[in-house]
Amino acid sequence: MASTEPSAAGAGAGGESSSQAAAVEPIRMPTAEEIKGQDIWNNCAVRSVVSGVMGGGLGVLMGLFFGALDNPIMAEEMTARQQIVYTAKQMGRRSISNAKTFAVMGLIFSAAECVVEKARAKHDTTNTAVAGCVTGGALAVKGGPKATCIGCAGFAAFSVAIEKFFDRHT
Amino acid sequence: MAAKGGASNFEKEQMFGMAEKEMEYRVDLFNRLTQTCFEKCIEKRYKEAELNMGENSCIDRCVSKYWQVSLLIPFLFADSFYAYSIA
Repeated sequence: MASTEPSAAGAGAGGESSSQAAAVEPIRMPTAEEIKGQDIWNNCAVRSVVSGVMGGGLGVLMGLFFGALDNPIMAEEMTARQQIVYTAKQMGRRSISNAKTFAVMGLIFSAAECVVEKARAKHDTTNTAVAGCVTGGALAVKGGPKATCIGCAGFAAFSVAIEKFFDRHT
Repeated sequence: MAAKGGASNFEKEQMFGMAEKEMEYRVDLFNRLTQTCFEKCIEKRYKEAELNMGENSCIDRCVSKYWQVSLLIPFLFADSFYAYSIA
């Protein structure tokens, strides 16, 4: 498991001296398959599709959870079975609509972040902020320009906060 | 290039010397390339061993430009050298 990335620092310097061979493993350049496997994750399309799918899954879960909570059952005479069926349909409907929203959100966010990071060639919070702005604006574009601006700013702030919370950057 | 036995020995040594110099030049170029692009593209504080996408694209561009420059400059140098020796 001594895999190293094809980073600029790895000069492929062969093995260590025999006195250190027990503690330090020699540097091993990655094979072509390893590089291809890692390059798959560098592709913007693959990343955004995977993010969209994950967003869809999250939306389904959220829809199930909140759909079960939100049940104004009308005061009709329904047996227990009918109530269960009604609640289940409501949960399903809500989870599908949530899944679509979250999938689109994840797709747009991931695609925007990937494109911006590749163009800037830097790993920063600015990428997250720009991607959040694009996503928020795209989701709120139907409400007019003011709603787009507010959505952009709000979602950018939210995504930067989440980023700092998970502390991915230094 | 007379095909004498003694001269070809000398030529072989010459070729070995040139190949050695060429190899040293290549190794030096590689070391400088990795040093330059590492210092330019990779930030000093990091939390993971994997290369980010930004660093990846930075390294791609850095290596490509360095390589182009290293191919271009000997060409320009040779031109000016000949012009200098003629003048």
